[in-house]
Amino acid sequence: MAGRNEHEHARDERRRDPQSTLRHQRRRDKVNDDTATGSFPVVRRKPASRNLDRNATRSRMVTSALVMVLCALLGYGYMVQAHNTQSSYESMTEDELRRLFTETSSQVSKLEDRKTQLTEQLNSIKSAVDKQEQARLIAQQNEQTSGILSGRLPAQGKGVTITIAERAGKPIDAATMFHLIEELRNAGAEVIEFAGVRVITSTSIQRVNGNLVCDGVTLTSPYVVKAIGDPSTLQGAVDIAGGVGSDLKLDFGAGVAVQQVDNVVIETVRQPQTNKYAKTVE
Amino acid sequence: MAAVLGLIIGVVTGIFLQPDIPIVLQPYLPIMVVAALDALLGAARAYFERSFSDKVFVISFFSNVITATLLVFLGNQLGVGSQLTTAVIVVMGIRIFSNVSAIRRFIFRG
Repeated sequence: MAGRNEHEHARDERRRDPQSTLRHQRRRDKVNDDTATGSFPVVRRKPASRNLDRNATRSRMVTSALVMVLCALLGYGYMVQAHNTQSSYESMTEDELRRLFTETSSQVSKLEDRKTQLTEQLNSIKSAVDKQEQARLIAQQNEQTSGILSGRLPAQGKGVTITIAERAGKPIDAATMFHLIEELRNAGAEVIEFAGVRVITSTSIQRVNGNLVCDGVTLTSPYVVKAIGDPSTLQGAVDIAGGVGSDLKLDFGAGVAVQQVDNVVIETVRQPQTNKYAKTVE
Repeated sequence: MAAVLGLIIGVVTGIFLQPDIPIVLQPYLPIMVVAALDALLGAARAYFERSFSDKVFVISFFSNVITATLLVFLGNQLGVGSQLTTAVIVVMGIRIFSNVSAIRRFIFRG
């Protein structure tokens, strides 16, 4: 647009006198030969920076120090946060807190259940131990009692010693002797030894070939009967009027001497018999 | 070198001092740490690209930290603090990942 205008303008000029044309041309050339353009403004070059060389080391030190400080800040903040992250309930939202609460309470109930279970277990074990202990005590007592009763263990204690001297020619009846044992038992004798034979539940006395035989042991006069129990009761049981003592004296003319002893020692024992048929009821 | 040294100094100081951070700062500290981590990794990436500038690092460090903190602060004011925290964490995480992958490419050439 501008070019065409100028062109026409020049043609118009040419129509005028050549002098003015030349002048005009010179003016136009002055404008057109300008090196400055609109789109690329010439930027003046900066003078070479003087500071770069002079302060290079110092600035490098400063910046590296700054970098170090920043990194130290980062590491410090990281460690602080890592240490404080456990107790930061304040920064939690309501949802998170609720979830945490639910989890915690469910965990608590689980732990309570577990505790109850374990307590039950502990109690049952304790009671089992108690039972076992009791059973052991009872077994021990039973063992002692039954050991004494069955003649398996030696025994000692207060009691009486009865000496029966058989009159020659007047043998004592086995039934009377057994009666004596029964009387002693009735009087509460706990352990009885009949002329060196421990009396147990199955003890029997019989007369074989003119001799008294107790559980297969042939006895000879005088017979010494030891009994552990209340001495006065035992003595009374033997010496009572019309009792077994007077029977022995009157019927058989035997000498009966009952002596209360503070410590009767019965050391004869019997092997426990194993039952072939009888079994304990379970 | 200075960065590694500074990190070690900071971690050791944090371990030995173990200070209690004020409650006001508590929601912002993790964000700040993550933002600073992102700035550090960006600096590492720039270092490998040979275009590291300490000025840029310092400015990006502070701008990261301050922007993240302000964003979370704004979120707290608006009642969406936790969501914005998550958003910041996610963005920073993505940036950290991209930085790390760039570093990895520079280290392993692939």
